[in-house]
Amino acid sequence: MAFIKRQQKIKFEGGGLVLLDTVEDAIAAEKILKAESYIVRLVAPPPELRKGCDLAVEINIAERPGIERLLKEKGMPYFGIEPLKIGTAPLLEVVKVTDFGKWIMVRAGNMKVTYEKDSGVIVNVSGGGCPDIPYLYAELVDKRMEEAPSPKDIGFTLCALNLDRALDECLNIYKGGTPK
Amino acid sequence: MMLIAGTVPIKDMPLTFGEITRDGDSIVINGRSIPCTQGTAAMISAALTASSYLKLDAPYALLVGDIGRGKGSRELYQYLIDNVAELAPQVLALHYWLPDMAQTRQLCAAVEECQRRPIMIADAASMYSAKAAGLAETFDVFTPDATEIAFLADPDATHPAYIAKHLFETDVRRSPELARAAYTNHSSAKLLLVKGTTDYIIGNGEVIAEVSEPNIPELEPIGGTGDTITGLVAALIYAGLEASEAAVIAAKANRTAGKYARVTPASKVKQVIAQFPAVFKDNLCDWSNTCYTKGGN
Repeated sequence: MAFIKRQQKIKFEGGGLVLLDTVEDAIAAEKILKAESYIVRLVAPPPELRKGCDLAVEINIAERPGIERLLKEKGMPYFGIEPLKIGTAPLLEVVKVTDFGKWIMVRAGNMKVTYEKDSGVIVNVSGGGCPDIPYLYAELVDKRMEEAPSPKDIGFTLCALNLDRALDECLNIYKGGTPK
Repeated sequence: MMLIAGTVPIKDMPLTFGEITRDGDSIVINGRSIPCTQGTAAMISAALTASSYLKLDAPYALLVGDIGRGKGSRELYQYLIDNVAELAPQVLALHYWLPDMAQTRQLCAAVEECQRRPIMIADAASMYSAKAAGLAETFDVFTPDATEIAFLADPDATHPAYIAKHLFETDVRRSPELARAAYTNHSSAKLLLVKGTTDYIIGNGEVIAEVSEPNIPELEPIGGTGDTITGLVAALIYAGLEASEAAVIAAKANRTAGKYARVTPASKVKQVIAQFPAVFKDNLCDWSNTCYTKGGN
């Protein structure tokens, strides 16, 4: 067997909600996302998360950054994107910095970026688990930080968002800023 | 069969199943060469190196191109759901893909229908989705790093981006505590290999072994050096070792390969993988108390 084509049989369990103002907005947002092949569905949000109307769009929460970017590009207003599970912590914004002498490594959540202090060249990206991370590795490694694309702009997942945070902090330190 | 499933960062690569060979630093599946960088390719390359040294069958892989949009991931899940019983792998190692709770649920149900249940190993986002779907305990081995063990310990997080701050900031020396919390929350595989300054091998919430030598902190920044550990664990389990013994040897081998390669934070994972045959030749008999092969490669 070599190359295989399969039909998709998908039941959906996304774990995240796009919260919108009106039912019309919710229907429009669903249409925008489906047109770009995102797997989504219209649901009633739980009372704890309800803002605006009684309809929300359930999404795969791991796809939050790509979905946010698409909705913004399409001018689709929304209140926010929240994990469906009540009690979930807010998005992690803490970073940790490790000095390796000639190199600095910054960790944000599950992602780490390492750059060379003198040149500002990204020498490694590690961690993560989503499919855009090996792609972003190829796009970022061996580039100077100022010239590298932003993971937030070309990635699609929460791992890419963490990578973006780590890279932002690397740039901050490289430009002489105080480590956060 | 040892089967490794995951995505690779080649946008249009169709779903592909086949035995893995090597061409220089790259792995090859059905004539297609895939560079050995961070992610599934690094994991497969490590598993192939160990299999080759131990004179085992080469790993099979189920790979698909996906750069984050999830289409390839969904095809991969569905193929496994439909075919895992027929493929009947002895070891099934799951790696990078877009985490999907519903499809993970379907896959675990399909695995339960197998005549002989495979040893189930998960790392990267396949571990995230197993935990998020409440199915961690159906897996035999997880290989989290320090952040990912905090994710497993957080009962509410469905992705490591949502870990509670106090758990993220927990000292890595407290990984066993987090592992115990994960076990209590039913968010742990039967065996955990927690990768860090010290690697902890934890069974049913309790520390079985610790590996801290050689101490090579420069391995942590190198993309793919966690993936290689998972690949080694898969191959060593396929060779017949108990999961805990496989985990200890994998942790030692990865560190020692880093030492042999004299890695810096700028090294690449292929430099580490290239050292595995020498590491096995020098150490495997001592570490395993069983010599599988004379001299290896």
